[in-house]
Amino acid sequence: MKDKQFWFAIGLIALIFLVYWILGHPYFNTDRIVMFITIIAMSSTLMYNVRFAQRGGEFYLRPIPGLKAVEEAVGRSTEMGRPILYVPGIQDMDQVETVAGVIVLGHVAKLTARYETSLNVPVSRSIVMKAAREACRESYMIEGRPDMFNEDMVHYLTDDQFAYAAGVNGIMVREKPAACMYMGKFYAESLILAETGNSIGAIQIAGTASQAQIPFFVTACDYTLIGEEFFAASAYLSKKPELIGGVRGQDMIKIAVIVTIIISTGLMVLYGNTGIGFDVSKYLTIR
Amino acid sequence: MIWKRQIPILIVTLIGSITLFGWFIDQPTIKEFVSDDATQWFDILASFAIILGALNLIKLQVQKVLYQKPGWIYSVVAISGFIFAIIAGFFVKGVDDSVAQWGAHVTTEGTLFKWMFDYMFTPMSATMFSLLAFFVASASYRAFRIRNFEATLLLVSGIIIMVGRVPIGSVIPSWFIMYLLVLSAGIYVNVWKKNMTTTFIFVAVGIAVVTIAGFMAGWPIDKPGIFYLPAIQEWIYYYPNVAGARSIMIGVGLGIFATSIRYILGIERSYIGE
Repeated sequence: MKDKQFWFAIGLIALIFLVYWILGHPYFNTDRIVMFITIIAMSSTLMYNVRFAQRGGEFYLRPIPGLKAVEEAVGRSTEMGRPILYVPGIQDMDQVETVAGVIVLGHVAKLTARYETSLNVPVSRSIVMKAAREACRESYMIEGRPDMFNEDMVHYLTDDQFAYAAGVNGIMVREKPAACMYMGKFYAESLILAETGNSIGAIQIAGTASQAQIPFFVTACDYTLIGEEFFAASAYLSKKPELIGGVRGQDMIKIAVIVTIIISTGLMVLYGNTGIGFDVSKYLTIR
Repeated sequence: MIWKRQIPILIVTLIGSITLFGWFIDQPTIKEFVSDDATQWFDILASFAIILGALNLIKLQVQKVLYQKPGWIYSVVAISGFIFAIIAGFFVKGVDDSVAQWGAHVTTEGTLFKWMFDYMFTPMSATMFSLLAFFVASASYRAFRIRNFEATLLLVSGIIIMVGRVPIGSVIPSWFIMYLLVLSAGIYVNVWKKNMTTTFIFVAVGIAVVTIAGFMAGWPIDKPGIFYLPAIQEWIYYYPNVAGARSIMIGVGLGIFATSIRYILGIERSYIGE
C-alpha cells in the first residue's frame, strides 16, 4: 500500500469511528476504553515501524545466538549425515506458539533443502501436521528441490502428551539425529525430550514462551530462544523488512510498557501515601 | 491463486479482527462468538482432522512392517494397540447394555475400553511422567555445576530454596548461616590475598563478632531475619523470581500481540507459504 492510500485508509477508519462515537457509540463497552486505546496505539506503533522498514529505514537488530545456531545445526547434521529432528510443540494451531513453531520450521526446511539433509518432524496434532507439511513443501519448492520433499517427513504420532514424548524419545534413540529443535508450546514433556536429546549428543535448540519450561530447556539445550525471541525468530530468519520492522515496533512498545509501569508505580505510591493525584489502578485494571 | 492467497488472508483478517475487537463490543451474538463459538469451531475441525493423523500413523507403521525397516517390531506393537483400541472402542464393550450403553462405555467400570485405559494406558503414561524425576536430577546436576558466577548464584539460590521450603530449614538458626557466610568469605579472602595470616584474622574476627552478637541477642533462631533460611527463600521466591518471570511474561505477551497483529494485517504470510 502506498503512503497516500495508507493515510487515506487510516483517516477513513478514524472518521467512521468518530462518527460512531458521536452518535452515542451503541454496543461499545466503555469500561474497556483504555484497553481499546492501548491496542490501537500499539497496533499503530507496529504499523509505523513496518512501513518505516518497508521504505528502506535501517536499524540494528540484536544478534540472537540461538537463531544463528540454526544454520550451524543444519550444517552439523549435513556433515554427520544424520537427520534433523524438529518438534513443533504439543499443542494445536490455536496456540500462537505452535504457529510460530511452524513458521520457524519453514525456514529450517529451506536450510535442509539447501544442504540436502533429511528432516524428521513428528507432530502431536493433525492440523499441525497439515500446516507443517505445507510449510515444508513450500520451502522445498522455493529452494528448487521439490524432489527432496517427502510428505512423510512430517508425520503424526499421537495427541497424548506422554505417549508423544515416548514416541519422540524412541525416534531420538533409534535414529540419533545430529540436531534436535524444539519450537512451540511445551509442558512437562519438555525435559524428557531435551534430556534424551542431550544424552544422544545432539546439538539442541529450543524456543518456547511456556514460562515454566524455559529453565528446563536452558539447562538441557545448547541454545534457547526465550519468550519474545521465539516470536521474533521469523523476522530474524526471513530478514524481510516488514517483519523486522515489527520487531522494532515491539521493542518500542516494550519501552512504553516499562515507562508506564514506572510512572504508575510512582503515582500509586504518591496517591497511597499522600492522597495527591489519583488511583491509576482504576484505569489499568482489565474489566 | 486467489484461493491460495487472497481468500486465506481475508479469512484470517476478518476472523482475527472480529475476535480482537469483539472483546470491546457489548452485543450478545458477537460476545458468544468470541468467547464460545470460535473455539468450538476449531474443536470441531480438529476432531475431524484427527482421522488424517490416525491414517498417517497407521500408514507409516504398516510400511515399516511390510518393508521390514529397522525397529519394525515396535510398529507391530503400535498396530496391535491401534486395532485393539478400535475394537474396544467400537465393537466389543465387554459388558451388557444394562451396565453401559455405547458411548458411555468408555468411562464405565468393567468395560474393555475402561480396562485398557486403567491398566495399560494410565500406567504407561505414569511411567513416562515418573521418568521426569530422574531427568530433573541429571538436569539439576548439570545446571548446578559451578562453572561461572551465574551458575554459582543458581546453585546457592537453589540450595536456599530447597532447604528453606522443607521443615528442616526452619530449625537451622540464622547464626549458623552467619558462621557459614564468615567461613565462605574467608575462602574468598584467602584466594584474593593469598595470605594465611590475613585469612586467619578475617575469619577469627568474623566468628568473634557473630558470637558476641549472638550472646547479646540471646541466640534467637530466626533473628536477624535476613539470615533465616525460610525468610531468605521467601524473598527469593516472591521478589527476584517474580520480577524475572513477569519480565518474560511481558515479553511473551508483546510477542503474541505482535504476531497476531502481523497475521490480522496480512504482514506475516508464512502460513500460506510466502
